[in-house]
Amino acid sequence: MTDAVAEKSQDRPVETGSDSAVSVSLRNAVKRYGDVTAVDHLDLEAKQGQFLTLLGPSGCGKTTTLRLIGGFEELDEGRVRVAGQDVTRIPPYRRPVTTVFQQYALFPHLSVRKNIEYGLKHGGLNRKEIDSRVTEMMGLMEIPEMGDRRPRQLSGGQQQRVALARALVMKPPVLLLDEPLGSLDYKLRKGMQFELKRIHREVGATFVYVTHDQEEAMTMSDRIIVMRDGQIEQDGRPKEIFDAPKTSFVADFIGDTNLVDGTVTDSRDGFVTVDLGALGRVRGTSEAGLASGERARVSIRPTDVRVIATKGQGAVVTDAVLAGTHIAMKIKAGENEVTAHVPRGSSPSPGETVLLEVESERVRVFEAESE
Amino acid sequence: MTELIPTSELPDSSDPDHLVKRSRGGFFLGAPVFLWMGLFFAIPYLLLFLQSFWEPTAFGVARDWSLDNYREVLGASQLAGDIYLPTLFKSIKIGAMVTAFSTALAFPLAYLLAFKVKRSRNRMLLYTLVVVPLWASYLLRAYAWKVILGQNGLFASMLSILGLENTFLSDLLYSEAAIVIAMTQIFTPFMVLTIYAVLERLPQNLIEASKDLGVGRLSTFRRVVLPLSLPGVVAGATFTMGLSSGDFVAPMLVGGESDVMIANQIYSQFGATNNWPLGSAIAFVLLAFVAILVWISTVAEKREQI
Ligand SMILES: Nc1ncnc2c1ncn2[C@@H]1O[C@H](COP(=O)(O)OP(=O)(O)OP(=O)(O)O)[C@@H](O)[C@H]1O
Ligand SMILES: [Mg+2]
Repeated sequence: MTDAVAEKSQDRPVETGSDSAVSVSLRNAVKRYGDVTAVDHLDLEAKQGQFLTLLGPSGCGKTTTLRLIGGFEELDEGRVRVAGQDVTRIPPYRRPVTTVFQQYALFPHLSVRKNIEYGLKHGGLNRKEIDSRVTEMMGLMEIPEMGDRRPRQLSGGQQQRVALARALVMKPPVLLLDEPLGSLDYKLRKGMQFELKRIHREVGATFVYVTHDQEEAMTMSDRIIVMRDGQIEQDGRPKEIFDAPKTSFVADFIGDTNLVDGTVTDSRDGFVTVDLGALGRVRGTSEAGLASGERARVSIRPTDVRVIATKGQGAVVTDAVLAGTHIAMKIKAGENEVTAHVPRGSSPSPGETVLLEVESERVRVFEAESE
Repeated sequence: MTELIPTSELPDSSDPDHLVKRSRGGFFLGAPVFLWMGLFFAIPYLLLFLQSFWEPTAFGVARDWSLDNYREVLGASQLAGDIYLPTLFKSIKIGAMVTAFSTALAFPLAYLLAFKVKRSRNRMLLYTLVVVPLWASYLLRAYAWKVILGQNGLFASMLSILGLENTFLSDLLYSEAAIVIAMTQIFTPFMVLTIYAVLERLPQNLIEASKDLGVGRLSTFRRVVLPLSLPGVVAGATFTMGLSSGDFVAPMLVGGESDVMIANQIYSQFGATNNWPLGSAIAFVLLAFVAILVWISTVAEKREQI
C-alpha cells in the first residue's frame, strides 16, 4: 500500500488470498494465561477499510485479542492473518500493523518530532521524505508547533495525538487502537471521536478499535463485536446490535435496558409471550426458540416504555427524576422494578398508579441466564 | 465564630516569600542531617583543605601558607621529582578499567535479570546471587582476592604445580591486571544493582511500541533501552570510578607493591612518612580529577538525553 510498509513487509511471501478484501482475520484463536482463558476459540474477520470495534466489559479479552493481532502474544491455538498473509509466527516488527497503545507509550527521551518519525527511520525513506511526512502528520493532528517538546510537557489530549500521529505516519494497512480515548475527559473524548472518524475516512486503513464504552462504539463503528469471557457474544452493525441483541448480555451491555425474568406461555410466528408475574404478560420477538413453560428473560428499553396513569390496580411510580431531555421514572410492580424514560410534561408523579405499554416489536425475549 | 481572612493575607503561591516560608520547615526537618554531615564530612574536609597549604615539620605542622605541597604533587618541585602525577594517572586508568569492565559485565546481567528471567522465583535466586557478595565486608572480599591472586596464593601455587610460572599467565600475579580483576569483582554487584534498578522501571510497552513501529530487537535496544538506562549506568559508573580509583586496600593486598595507587601514597603520607600536609594536597588533587570526570559524565548524559 505504501513505501514504508512495503519495506516493513518485503521479506515475507505475498500470498493473494481467496478474498483479498479481508484485512484481518483470527481463526479459532486461543490464548491462555495459566488457568485463565483470555481468548477462547475466537473467530474474527475485518474487511479492508472497516472500522471494527471490540466491545465488552473489563477483562473480557479485548486487549489480548489486539495483542494477538499485533504479535505481542503468541497464540496457543489458531491462526492470525493480516492483509492476506499468515502472520501467526511472525514477530511484531515485521507485521504490517501499527498499534496505538492504551497508555500511549511515547518515548520519554525523544522529542515529539523524533517520536513521530521513529518508525520511518527504518523504512528506507530519505531525510526529506521523512520530514515532509512528519510535518504533514503534525498538521493533520493539529500539533504543528509542538515538535521540540518532550512527551511529558504535553497534555493528555496532545500526547494522544502524538501517539496517533506516530502510528498513522507509518501508513499501516491495519491500525489497532486500544481504548485510545480512555483517559480523556468527556468533552475532549467527544472531539477526538469525531477526529478519529475523519482520519479513518481519510486514510482508508482498517481500524480495529477497543473500547468498553458502548456509546463510543455505537457512534464510531461500521461493525461491533461484543465480547464476553474471551468469546464473541454478537457481531454486527451498531444498529443491529442495538435493535436486535442476540442475548440478554448484549441487550444489557448496549444501552440501558430492563431485564425481567418470567415464564413463556405462548410461542408462535417468532413472537413469544412471557408471564412476568405482577408486571403482567408481555409479547416480544425472539430467536431463542423458546417453548411454553420455559424460563425466559425479557429486555425492554426504558425509552420504549409508555406510562399511562390509571385509577385502580396497577404498578406504582416510586420515583421520577428529570434527566435532561426526559424524565427517568422508576415503577414497581410486585417484586419487579422497571425504569421508563418518558417525555417531560404529561407524566404521572410518584405514588400514582399506572399501566405500562410497550410495542411487541421493541421487546426482545431471550433464554434465561443460568447463573 | 468564623473570621473571614482578607484575600490579601492569603498565602499566594506566586509570592517568593511564601516559598521561603515553606522551605524553612524543610530546613528544620533536615537539620539533623546537616549537623551530621557538617560534623563528620564538611569540617574534616575543610581541615584537610586548610592543611594542604601548610608546612610539615619534624613533629607536626606549621601554619605557614604556601602552595609548595601542590607544586610537589604536580611535579613542579625540584626536590621530589615527578612521582605523584604518574601514579595519579595510573590510578585513574585502573579506575577507568575497573569501571569499564564492571559495566560490561553488569549490564548484560542486569538486562537478563530485568527482561529475560520470566519466573519470579528464578529472578529472586539470581538477584540474591548477585547481592550476596555485598553482604560480606569489603575487606573480607579484598582478602579473599589476596588468597587467590596474592603472593603464595592459590593462583601462584597452581601455576607452579602446572609448571607455568614463566608464561604470560604469571603476568596476572602482583600486577595491575590482578588489581583490576579483584576490583572488578568487588564493584560489579553494585553496578548490577544500579543498572537493574533503571531497567526494571523501564515500561515494557515502550519496547513493544518500538517493535510495533517496525524496529527490530537490536535497534530497539540501541534506540530505547540503552538511552533510558543511561542514568543508572552513569550513576553506577561514577560511583565505581570514584571508589576504585581512590582505593588502596585491594591494590595493596593483590598488587604486590605498596605504592601502586595514589591512595597508597596518600596513606603513607598520613602514616609512615608523617607528612599530613602533602597527603592532604595529593588527596585534593585526586578529588579534583574525579570531580572533573563526574562532571563530564553528567554533562555527557544530559547531552545524550536531548
Ligand atoms: N499477562 C497476563 N497474565 C495473566 N493473565 C492475564 C494477562 N493479561 C491478561 N490476563 C487476563 O486475561 C483476561 C483478559 O484480559 P484483557 O486484558 O484482554 O482484558 P480487557 O478486555 O482488555 O479488559 P479491560 O477493559 O479491563 O482492559 C483477564 O482475565 C486478565 O486477567
Ligand atoms: Mg484492555
